[in-house]
Order: sequence, then structure tokens, then C-alpha cells
Amino acid sequence: MGNLVKTEWYKLRKDRSFWVLILFLLAFAVLYPLDLLHPFGENTKLPNGNDFYRGDILSINTQIVHLLPAILAGFFIASEYSMGTMKSIASSGHSRIRLYFAKLTVFSIGSIIILLILPIFMMGASAVYSGFNVMPQWSFFFQTIGLLALYEAAFASFMALCSTILNDSGKAIGFLILFLALIPSLLEFIGAKVTFLEPFITHSIFMTEGSILTIDQIGHWDGNDIFTFIAVPIITFLVFGILGSLIFRKKEIK
Amino acid sequence: MVEYVLQTHHLSKKYQNKMALNKVNVSIKKGSIYGFIGQNGAGKSTTIRLVCGLGNPTTGTMELFGKSTERELNKARKRIGTIIEGPALYPNMTAAENLEAHRLLKGIPGKECIEKTLTLVGLRDTGKKKAKNFSLGMKQRLGLAIALLGDPEFLILDEPINGLDPMGVVEIRELLKKLNQEYGITILISSHILSELHLLATDYGIIHNGELLEQLSAKELHEKCQHYLHIKVDDPNKAATVLESQFGSADYEVMPDGAIKLFAHAESPGIVSKALTDEGLIIEEFMPMGEDLETYFTKRIGGVQHG
Repeated sequence: MGNLVKTEWYKLRKDRSFWVLILFLLAFAVLYPLDLLHPFGENTKLPNGNDFYRGDILSINTQIVHLLPAILAGFFIASEYSMGTMKSIASSGHSRIRLYFAKLTVFSIGSIIILLILPIFMMGASAVYSGFNVMPQWSFFFQTIGLLALYEAAFASFMALCSTILNDSGKAIGFLILFLALIPSLLEFIGAKVTFLEPFITHSIFMTEGSILTIDQIGHWDGNDIFTFIAVPIITFLVFGILGSLIFRKKEIK
Repeated sequence: MVEYVLQTHHLSKKYQNKMALNKVNVSIKKGSIYGFIGQNGAGKSTTIRLVCGLGNPTTGTMELFGKSTERELNKARKRIGTIIEGPALYPNMTAAENLEAHRLLKGIPGKECIEKTLTLVGLRDTGKKKAKNFSLGMKQRLGLAIALLGDPEFLILDEPINGLDPMGVVEIRELLKKLNQEYGITILISSHILSELHLLATDYGIIHNGELLEQLSAKELHEKCQHYLHIKVDDPNKAATVLESQFGSADYEVMPDGAIKLFAHAESPGIVSKALTDEGLIIEEFMPMGEDLETYFTKRIGGVQHG
């Protein structure tokens, strides 16, 4: 398994789409607070640290940035089929399950890196611009970082499954972005109509990810909520991971 | 006792309603170069894909290095190198980076093998040029380099000389011969360029419409290919009379251009030419000929077809 993960890590490091996304997000992380805070102007306006972190950084992350790993899924996973390289991977004599989980592990890491750029670098940049006056509470910051990573791994598992089924980078990117953008409203509608599905829908990663913003609201969360909040992405990662590996195991590679 | 690297037993593959492979029994001897011949869609690539584990057979089994269970087969696949339906490359990586990705995948320790393999296929000086900017021939060489990483015992090459220039074809042919003769690597090679296969293969398998029509060695092929004397004289009718009267043979054919194909006595051209000149015939052309692989293959599948 070790050499498979090393192989995938090597390929991720050489993946152009991965670096383009990172550079784009880094540029955005540095420039956006500069524009927002006007640190060198006379009327410098410094929002509260938590508000800026929650209202700008996390909100952009959960609304837009979490769609970006779909691009990586297209280029890093689905393109292996269209380029034909999956044939040499699958005929290398390694178990298909191991091959799938090695790919999924590295793809999850890549997605997490993409998703953590804004919270870390935009926060860092805005802190520098404002002389460290704009800082969120550390506990809230680290809790959200951990949860974002966990939820992104779960999303990555879902994206890997779709890319494995779709086989084509263009189709995978298009489908995933559209699906992830529309699924919360669709699930909300289904949950309202089909009552027995409502608890599953409410606790799915598609619905709960947005709640990361409210984790610091003391009293709002009890022990059970936090357990559910952590267990849901872990279970989702495993379920989609196992499902994807079983599909990949039986898949005819063309 | 003959040792086989690969044996398939009644291997069949059905796609929806189409039988892509029908009870195919391929046997590839250790140390041989097996030329796999067939038209497009005949079942060559399907067979190769099943052997490489890219699909599951509908029925039938196979033995790779004598191993036949799924787990053992997978392990045995670590001993093979493949090019399946064209070279599989990462277009944004250089030749060395492509090899590095496959070196890691195969778990080969040390990076020395990369330069050694690139030198072997003549791609050592490609430097930072990305694979997407390679010519088709260079891509084929890089695909071959990937297949050769890790010193495989069995090479499976699907159309490895497609797109190569004439010099490239000769170089790859010599390289494959060297790998087979010096390193004892068994090679399964499928190609449409039958004249090239003829210069390389020690054994052949002819597949048509998903069925393996025949397996034969190069020696058997040579024996089976009909040999004849190509004769062109000033008077073909008189020559035909001479052949019938002197050799009592009607085993000849007069071609539209007047040339005669004499199938009998092909092994004794001196006697035939003497008989013709003794009768006052002027010989314009006189050559012992034989069918080549292409003619044999075309006859075997029942004439020229458009697949």
C-alpha cells in the first residue's frame, strides 16, 4: 500500500490542475482581504475576527471552494481512464481495492489542502494587514479546520466514486459541480415530501457542512450533536469509499 | 516438458449480445515470441485485456506462469510488462517522470533503472520535454520503456510499432529480439504489420471473429505456406504443354499476364528450367516463390475482408 500512496502522491505533485487551483486560491486569499479591509486607507474598518472568519472566509469556502475539488477529481481520477493510464495501473498486479484506496487517500489529502487554503492563508493575510487585530478565537479556528478537513474527505470520497463511474474528466467535473451545487435544495425538497428520509437527509454531509459556521455557538450544540457532526463525515467517507472500491473492483477498464 | 507462460482454457467474453471471444485456447511457450494476428475487432485486444486483468471473462480460465486463482493471477501480473491499445502516458510529465511514476507503482527500489531503460529505448536525451510533445514514435518507445521497467519475464505488446518510422521499426524489432534472445523474455505481440511479425515471431496465433483459428510455430507456418515456381516464358501455352507432358502435372496456374505458377516440383527448379529450354522456350523470369504470412493469413480467414 505504501508504494501505491507514494505513486499517487507523486502524480498529485505533478498534477497541473492541483497547482493551478492552489495558486488561484492563494492569490484570492491574499488579495481579497486587502480589498476588503483597506489596511492602508484612512477609514480602515476592521471587522470582528470571528465575524470575518465566519462571514467571509468560511462562508466562501462552504459555498464555492468546496466545489473546486471536483476539478481535481476530473483531472486526477477520471482522466486516468481517458488517458489510458488506468490500464497500466490496473494491470500492475496490485489488488484493485488497494489501488482505489491509495487514490482516494491522496485525492482526499489534495482536496483538504485546497479547502484549507482560504481559512489559513486568508486569515493569515488579513491578520497581517490589520496588525493581528482581526483574529478568530483559536479554539473555534482549530475546530473548524478539523471539521472542514473531515467533511472534505467525505466529499472527496463521493467525488472519487462519481469519477470512477463517469470515466471522463469533462463529464466528472460538470456532473460534480452541478450536483454539489443543486443537491442541498433537492435534498431539502425530498426531505419535506418523504418524511422517513428526513433524518438521513438532515444528517447527510450535504446538509450539515454549512453548520460548521455555528460550532462556536455555546449551548447550541450538545454532546450528541457533536458526535453526529463528527461521525457523519467519517461514516460517509467509509461508505462511499467501500462502494467505490467495490465498483472499481468489478469495473471493465477500457 | 514444454513450459508455458500463458495458457487460456475456453476463454470467452460476451458484451451484451456480442460474443467478443469464443472459447479461446491460447498457449504461449516460455521464451517464445508469439505473434497474435487478427483483424480489427477479431478479439486480440479483448484477449490481452483479460490476461492483464482489465476485465473478467464470461466463462473460461487462464494460467499465467502456472497460476490460476484470482489472487495468484494478480500476483503473477507483477511479472509482466504491458502496452495495451497504445502507450499509456501522463502527457504533462517528461519521459523520466513517467517512468518514475511507474517505478513507484511497481515498487522498484533505486532510480538507476530509469536512465538505463531510457537509454535502452533511445529516449535518454529527451530532457524536460513533456510526453504530450513527443512524436507518435517517441510515445511508443516510452510506452515500451514503461513496459520494460522492473525486468518483466513476459511482455504483452498490443500494436507496439504503430506510428514508428522505418528506422524505428527496425530498432524496436532488434530490441525485442535482443530482449527475447539475451534476457529470455517471452513476448506476446499483436500487430497489423504482418511482414514485421514474420521477421520476429517464433509462434503465431490467428484469431478471427472471436475464435482462435490456429496456433502454429514459424517452422510449421513455413511448411504450410505453399511454395511455387514463378515462370515467365515467351510462349505460355507451349510451356503448359511441356509441363503436362514432361512432368505429368496439372498443378499449375496461368496468370492473366502469362506468368505461370508451378506448384509441383517447386523444390527442383533446375530440372524444370532445363525441360523448358530444351523445348526451345525463352525464359524471361524464373523464381522460386513462397506465400508470406499475409497471404497465409488472408487465406486462413477466408479472403480479404473489411473489418
